[in-house]
Amino acid sequence: MSESKEKNPLVQLFDTFFGKHWPVWVGGIVLGLLNILLFAIKSPWGASGGITNWGDNFYSLFGLFSEKGVTAISENNYGMLVLLIVLGSFAGALFSKEFAIRIPPKGEMIKGFLGGSLMAIGATVGIGCSIGSFFSGVPALSGGAIVFAIGLFIGVIVSLKYLLWEMEKFPGWSSGKSYNFLAAKPNKGNWQIIIGVIVLIAILLLSYSYSKDNMVMSWFIIISGLMGLISQRSRFCIVKSFRDPFMSGESEGAVGVIAGLAVSLIGFTVIKIFGIGAIGELSLRARELTWVFPHFWAKAAAGGFIFGLGMTIAGGCAVGTLWRMGEGQIKLWFSGLAMVLISPLSNKFLVPVVDNILPQSAKFRNYLPDYLGYDGAFALVLGILLLWYWFVKWNERTGRFSAF
Amino acid sequence: MELKMTLDCKGLSCPMPMMKVAKAMKDLKSGEMLEMFGTDPGTKTDLPNWCTKTGNEFMEMTDLDGGVTRMVVKKS
Repeated sequence: MSESKEKNPLVQLFDTFFGKHWPVWVGGIVLGLLNILLFAIKSPWGASGGITNWGDNFYSLFGLFSEKGVTAISENNYGMLVLLIVLGSFAGALFSKEFAIRIPPKGEMIKGFLGGSLMAIGATVGIGCSIGSFFSGVPALSGGAIVFAIGLFIGVIVSLKYLLWEMEKFPGWSSGKSYNFLAAKPNKGNWQIIIGVIVLIAILLLSYSYSKDNMVMSWFIIISGLMGLISQRSRFCIVKSFRDPFMSGESEGAVGVIAGLAVSLIGFTVIKIFGIGAIGELSLRARELTWVFPHFWAKAAAGGFIFGLGMTIAGGCAVGTLWRMGEGQIKLWFSGLAMVLISPLSNKFLVPVVDNILPQSAKFRNYLPDYLGYDGAFALVLGILLLWYWFVKWNERTGRFSAF
Repeated sequence: MELKMTLDCKGLSCPMPMMKVAKAMKDLKSGEMLEMFGTDPGTKTDLPNWCTKTGNEFMEMTDLDGGVTRMVVKKS
């Protein structure tokens, strides 16, 4: 009898989820579905708003930048979402015995902080990050999201050139003493699974604690916890999808993101056409304009470019930073810290300057169906996704644009 | 066949281990082998995938104490 037949079916199921990494396209599709659920119950996936909420709460402890009052993290859906992505990933890493405190060489931690700072500036100027302004913005049929994506793309290329130059000229910046703590020993480390169960129960109890008075938050906690876990298991990362075709030539990350975008595109379009969730004072028009930010075109282009620079240097986009924090990557803790600290500063001092310089025609809401109808907007976004898919697959086969 | 080069990528996260391996492989001749020590879980998937794409041979992967993984690649 084979070994797999002797295994308890529940153990086999556990191994399916946590024995090895999931294909990125599986993660992309499930994340796309969960994103539709978030939109159905309130509004789509986003990360930078929640990170800024953390920063605002931090500064308000010292009486800074809190003139308008700051929503407590525990009352802010996206502040909690950020926490739950980290916790969900923590649970996923523990269940797969992949958790460890990984302290990189000093130069990498500096790059993490620098990359996080640039992501904070990009997300505040561009009104959204790689998730809100891209992974959710594109299927929300936002013209600004497409411009943001072009900005991301250029930023990633420039930043990748920098990383290749740095590795050639200053290899010592990513070398040196590193430390690894709490890693599971080979074929041992069941303590990680036990802690994982405790974290999972804590997430469920946290969700339950909101269930009487705030059902939306209760479901945000469950869905964002799942998003963190799935992102960790499939290693879903926007920067990988933009960078790898031009680095190693691999298309897997890009295909995963394209799959998630395609699934969300269908769900978001249905929600917007039928006005699902447009209840009370929330009009159908407001529902249509959900996640269509006033950043077309210049704010989206500038924000996307700066964010693209930052996420490549950091080695993690907004969600990539959060789930890597959950698996114990200290470099990404520095990125997350920088995003928390710099976002409120950028909102306070830089964004008003940019807004004053730019005319209204360079920072308005561009809702594609207003110009192309729903059919045309849907076809345009689907066409862009197919073109992107064709390009990454062709490039993977030919290596035409990959560095190695 | 003996190992030609050893890379220490411990503590590094994506994309640095893959960048270092790809750069180092350029200096190897066909048939020569490189071993890499890393701690990033993503590399366990990325390196075999990259070898499949580039035609290099992924020889071995061993989990060691301290969360370190040793991987060996042979240049095509």
